[in-house]
Amino acid sequence: MTISHHPPEELLADFAAGKLEEAHQLVVGVHVADCPRCARFVQAIEQLAGAALEDVEPVPIAPDAFDRAMSRIHQSSEETAAPPLASGTDHTLPPALRKYRIGKRRRVAPGLSLRPIELSGSGKARAFLLRSAPGSRMLEHTHTGTELTLVLEGSFSHEGGRYGPGDFDYGDDEIDHRPIVGDEGPCVCLVAMTGDLRINGFLGRLIGPFVRL
Amino acid sequence: MVAARLSIGASKGPKATVNWADLIGRVASDSDREAFKRLFEHFAPRIKGLMLKAGCSADEAEEIAQNTMIAIWRKAHQFDPATAGAPAWIFTIARNLRIDLFRRRARADRLQTCSELPDEPDQAETADILMSRVQDAARIAAAIEQLSAEQSMVVRLSFIEERPHPEIATTLGIPLGTVKSRIRLAMNRLRDILDEEA
Repeated sequence: MTISHHPPEELLADFAAGKLEEAHQLVVGVHVADCPRCARFVQAIEQLAGAALEDVEPVPIAPDAFDRAMSRIHQSSEETAAPPLASGTDHTLPPALRKYRIGKRRRVAPGLSLRPIELSGSGKARAFLLRSAPGSRMLEHTHTGTELTLVLEGSFSHEGGRYGPGDFDYGDDEIDHRPIVGDEGPCVCLVAMTGDLRINGFLGRLIGPFVRL
Repeated sequence: MVAARLSIGASKGPKATVNWADLIGRVASDSDREAFKRLFEHFAPRIKGLMLKAGCSADEAEEIAQNTMIAIWRKAHQFDPATAGAPAWIFTIARNLRIDLFRRRARADRLQTCSELPDEPDQAETADILMSRVQDAARIAAAIEQLSAEQSMVVRLSFIEERPHPEIATTLGIPLGTVKSRIRLAMNRLRDILDEEA
C-alpha cells in the first residue's frame, strides 16, 4: 500500500492526545494503523505526553487508593476477558472497525450506498462506510461541517489528486468537490462527517430530498 | 516567560535514578507488590494532575488514575521498553481509559437501562499495535530532542494539557498569532525530522 495523502499533523496530535471525538478518532486510527509514517508522528506526540506526565505537578489521591486498587486486582482477574467483537468475523474490515456494530447497507443514490457505524453517541460526527460504483462520478457536494475520508478499497480522484487504499482526505466547508471513482472496482471509504452534505446542481436539488446522508 | 525545561524520556536529569521499566518488568514477572507500590505512588498522583489539567473533574481524574494503575498491573507483561518509554506507555493507558470513560457515559445516557451492547472493547489494544509497529523508540526520542524547547512547550500546552490558545499566549507572554504559527512550525518540524530519520 502506497499512501500519499495523510491527515494534517494537528489532527494526528489530537489523536495521540486522545482529544478527537469518536468518529474522527476511528477514521484517523484506521489510517495510522496502516501508515508507519503517521504512526511515528503519533508515537512522538505520545513520548512528549509521557514527558509531560513526568513533569506535571502531582495531585494527592485518596489515601486508601492503593489498597483499593490491590483489592480490585485480587477480586476480579476475570475482568480482563476480551468482549466479543461486534462485527464478528468480517475480515474484510480493518481490525479497528471490527469492534463496532455496523448497520445494514442502505442505498442513497444510484451507485451509492452506505452502512452506518454505531458509535457511543458521545460526539457530534457520524461515521459510515460509503460504497460507490466503479467509474461513477459522485455528486458535486459541499459540506456544512468537516468530512474525514479514508479509502479502504478502490480509489477516487478530485482536484486534490488520486486517493487509493490508505489515503486520507480532509474536507471542510471551503471545499466544493466532485470526486470521480476509479474504474478498477467499487470504492469503499470510511467517512466521519459533521454537519450535512449539500448536494449541488440540478440533479442534487432533484434527489436532495431523498438523500439522507 | 515560563521556564521551558523539558525532560524527554529517562535518559537525562535527576529522574533517571528510578528505572520505571524495570519496576514494570518486576510486576509482570513476579507480581511484585512493592514494585507496583512505587509505580503507584509516583504515577497515580501525576496521572491525576495531568487529567485535571486536561479538564477532567476531580472525581474523573481520580477514577482514571486508579483504573490506569490497575491496567498497568494487568498489562505489565505487554510493556516493551524497546518500543516506548514507561511514562509514554502509561500516558497511552490513561488516555484510552479517559476516552472509554466518556464514551461509556454517553452510551449509558443514550441507552439508559439497555445493556444489550457489549462492553467497550479494550482501546489500549490499538495503541499496543501502534507501539509495536515502530521498533526504534530511541530514534523517535532523538527526533523529539531536535525540537526547540519553545516548540516542545507549545505542543505540550496545546495538545497534552489542552489549554486554549489565548491562555497559552498569556502563559508564554506571546501574541495569539505567534501561538498558532509556533504550533504549525512545531508540527512541520516534527514531521520533517521524523521523515529524515526514517
